[in-house]
Amino acid sequence: GGGESEGGGSEGETITLRAATGLSAQHAWWEASMVPWMERVEELTDGQVQFETFTGGELVSVPDEGDALQSGTVDVALVLPIYQPDQFPMAEVTMLPLNHSDTLIASNAWKKLLESEEELADGQTYTEMQFGDFKVFPVSTTQEYSISTTGKEFNSVSDVEGTSLRTPSRIHEMYAAKTGINSVTMPAVEIYDALSRGTFEGAFYSIADWTGYGFQDLFRYTVTGINFGHFNAFIGMSQSRWDELPENVQEAMTQANEDIFEAGAQEWMDRAEAIIPENEENGGKFVEFSELDQEVQDHFNTGIEDTWTDYAKLLEDNGLPGNEVVKMWRDLLIEEGGEVPEAVMNLE
Amino acid sequence: MDNLLVIGIILAMMIVLLLAGLYIHSVLLASGIIGLILLEGFGILPGLLGNEPFNRVASYTLTTIPLFVLMAQFILQSGLVQDIFYMVHKVSKGKNSLLGVLTLIIGGLLGAVSGSGTATSASLGQVAIPELRKHGYSAPLAGAVAASGGSLSGIIPPSIILILYGVATETPVGSLFVGAFIPGILTMLVFIAVMLVYFQLGKKKQQATQEEVTEDAAAEEKVPVLRLIIASIIAVAIVFIIFGGIYSGVFTPTEAGAVGAFVGLIAAFLLGKVNFAFFKTSLIETVKLTGMVMIIMIGAQIFGRFVSLSLLPRRLIEWIEPIMDTPALVLIAISIVLFIMFMFIEGAAVILMSIPVLLPIIVELQVDVLWFGVFVAVICTIGLITPPVGLSVYAVAGVSGISSGSIFRLTTVFALVAMVVVTGLMIAFPGLATWLPNSM
Amino acid sequence: MKGVWKAYRLFHYLKLIGIWISGIAVVAMMLLIVYDVMMRTLFSSSIRGGFEIIQNYMMPLVVFPGLAYVYSSGVLPKMDLLLDRFGAGMQKAIILLMILLELFVLVLIVQFSWAYAMDGLEREIAFPAAGTLYPLYPFFFLIPIAFGMIVIENLFILIRNILEKKPSLLMEEPKGPVEDL
Ligand code: NA
Ligand code: NA
Repeated sequence: GGGESEGGGSEGETITLRAATGLSAQHAWWEASMVPWMERVEELTDGQVQFETFTGGELVSVPDEGDALQSGTVDVALVLPIYQPDQFPMAEVTMLPLNHSDTLIASNAWKKLLESEEELADGQTYTEMQFGDFKVFPVSTTQEYSISTTGKEFNSVSDVEGTSLRTPSRIHEMYAAKTGINSVTMPAVEIYDALSRGTFEGAFYSIADWTGYGFQDLFRYTVTGINFGHFNAFIGMSQSRWDELPENVQEAMTQANEDIFEAGAQEWMDRAEAIIPENEENGGKFVEFSELDQEVQDHFNTGIEDTWTDYAKLLEDNGLPGNEVVKMWRDLLIEEGGEVPEAVMNLE
Repeated sequence: MDNLLVIGIILAMMIVLLLAGLYIHSVLLASGIIGLILLEGFGILPGLLGNEPFNRVASYTLTTIPLFVLMAQFILQSGLVQDIFYMVHKVSKGKNSLLGVLTLIIGGLLGAVSGSGTATSASLGQVAIPELRKHGYSAPLAGAVAASGGSLSGIIPPSIILILYGVATETPVGSLFVGAFIPGILTMLVFIAVMLVYFQLGKKKQQATQEEVTEDAAAEEKVPVLRLIIASIIAVAIVFIIFGGIYSGVFTPTEAGAVGAFVGLIAAFLLGKVNFAFFKTSLIETVKLTGMVMIIMIGAQIFGRFVSLSLLPRRLIEWIEPIMDTPALVLIAISIVLFIMFMFIEGAAVILMSIPVLLPIIVELQVDVLWFGVFVAVICTIGLITPPVGLSVYAVAGVSGISSGSIFRLTTVFALVAMVVVTGLMIAFPGLATWLPNSM
Repeated sequence: MKGVWKAYRLFHYLKLIGIWISGIAVVAMMLLIVYDVMMRTLFSSSIRGGFEIIQNYMMPLVVFPGLAYVYSSGVLPKMDLLLDRFGAGMQKAIILLMILLELFVLVLIVQFSWAYAMDGLEREIAFPAAGTLYPLYPFFFLIPIAFGMIVIENLFILIRNILEKKPSLLMEEPKGPVEDL
């Protein structure tokens, strides 16, 4: 395995862990969750645990963090399972579109989903089924995804249909297909250039994440009050590496995660709050979903309902408990204060 | 094993292997792999060696490398560039120095449609070197002109380096592109000046023989006027389609590689040059160059993983801590460190491994992050033509058969002059990079 | 040595097949992207999953099948300042050492990229595009095959250097333009 874990077993010896992310060092997950977590672990263990950090794909690129943990290239990493639906097909559940939620609601629901003891299928919990090889520390989800365009407005259903938007996940592809949106995929690094020259018209994106690609300078029209899911992540270790750690370190890591969790979620909301006025100053417009034409609202809502059932069916077709997992996610969200369309409420 | 000791062993090994004449990709692979083993033991290898080759290659952005080379091949095989160089030669009325100037300007223009300095250098090497050789340029100088002209793609937007920097630092890529414009032109002007000095020196050295060569070359090149007109129209159309397409948003700079190659194919078809031999030569040459660039990138990737794990960049940065309260001094120190890193390591890898370390220093110094991105891209561009790892020079050496060592002897001077002049001016007048983006 | 050359001829055909696969893949990639751009501009619809398919299928097909041919063509760069200044005996020793080092590195890559491909096969690694999953793991096998062929090339070069007097890093000298400097 990686890292200079001198001994690793007994208490008291210094343990140096190699920590990595493919995301940039300024990304909210790294800056506001992973870094505080590492600092807290160092604090709680009185410096017994030290971290050697690698960001921005310096050692591991997105989405290879999970593989790097299993091969021992790194000891601990931010894992983004939605990028690998072939390996973690049920991770995308947090990307299902909703009527209402915020970062705190979704983060708490995601944490509860990961920590749930409830059997999902075959005597296994959600985490055992999806992330059985990992020790999982939940971190916040992203802020909710919105639809933003470089100027195109959704005043009628025909405006929505045929609009080219960049889609970040399989669920958004499904949603786009349902609502007649033309989905564009493109490497993240090319989006700014292509958007600014009008190669396509907008994207599904979380406002708090705009600055990563300079979108605050480009988007002029954003629909709020409807949300296109939350991207998720967790701080992961390989189960075998985790088992090698002394008990006091394990306890410190668990405690540290509890300590940093909420502030990590709050960061997304703070970032969004700072970006919105900046974007408005540049001529950006934020439109409340409930103020859109009723037909447009219905069009979007039907899309939401269909996406839930389609996703569940997709999982079921692959022998996974799709119906159970979407219901579990729905219930956790509602418990935390989220809202979904009536038809999703009625899913049985 | 202790990190510093391993770094020392590996750097020494690299120098020995390079001097012994081992392939560059093998030097990078061997140094990287042996370094990783010394540092971490054998167990680290499966996770890094197994997936890196595939991950490095499977990139949409990198389609620009084969496709811009393919475009160059199609245009080259169509005889178009020869016609244009012939016209330019006529226009310059035997002033051969103008041909070198023009090659560098064409390098700059190609840079405006290409993101990769290596691909452009290879293309330019194929098209321009035979013409330059006919007009009194020594083989090394012709190679140096092609390599440095092609390297301009690294700084003249669009640039893969600026894109990587933008992503790593969350700086808007569009602003970086605009900011890089003036320093890009400046770099081109420096290259032109150095080239002219070398050309004059070369001319004095072999004045007698050169006259004959030029006359012979002019005599054998009688081209019908009609073909020249068609060639001009097609050339203008290609430039117009590529520039117009990118800047109007019809396609992205990456897609421009494919569109450019397609337009090149149509041009060759119109000029009546498309047959089996045309495809055979174009395709084999394209795959050869692409394979060459990619196998070096794979080597650089694995070597870069070793460098990351050895914490070498951080050690380098630690040394400059004591001078933090003199920003200009820190910037000069950083540029020297980066210059050395870009000498040895492929550009994208340097960006990826140094930014996490450099960015906090830059922020602490209250230096503009956009300015720094352009600054790094300039040094990176220069790094494409410095030994021992100068991909632009290797690309040119690969296509022309001119020895890389002889090209490096000249490009090192190009690089040093550009380094001092361009980065010096940028430190003295930061507005060179920040004025345009701020006023748009 | 005659038998060796015969075997090398056969191996050469294999490399030729590889470079043609790569060459056709380049043209296919160009056409795919141009078609995508045209569809988007004219009908505002793009190939579903086009970007992912180009990245994950076309690029590996462009690079890896032709790699052994590229290797043997003499196009790969090296610093060629010193070697020629040594005597033939010294040159041969250096070249043999370099070939062995090269083989060591290449064999490691073949070994681990093969393991990676087998692991991919087991996990059925796929990539998402346009709402569906496309298998990725078959393309992982291109890497051990490509580097395995370069290992074979190096074995030929090793045998050549053992059996023949004149040392060389290539089986055959490149036919391309060679400058006299
Ligand atoms: Na460029
Ligand atoms: Na260099």
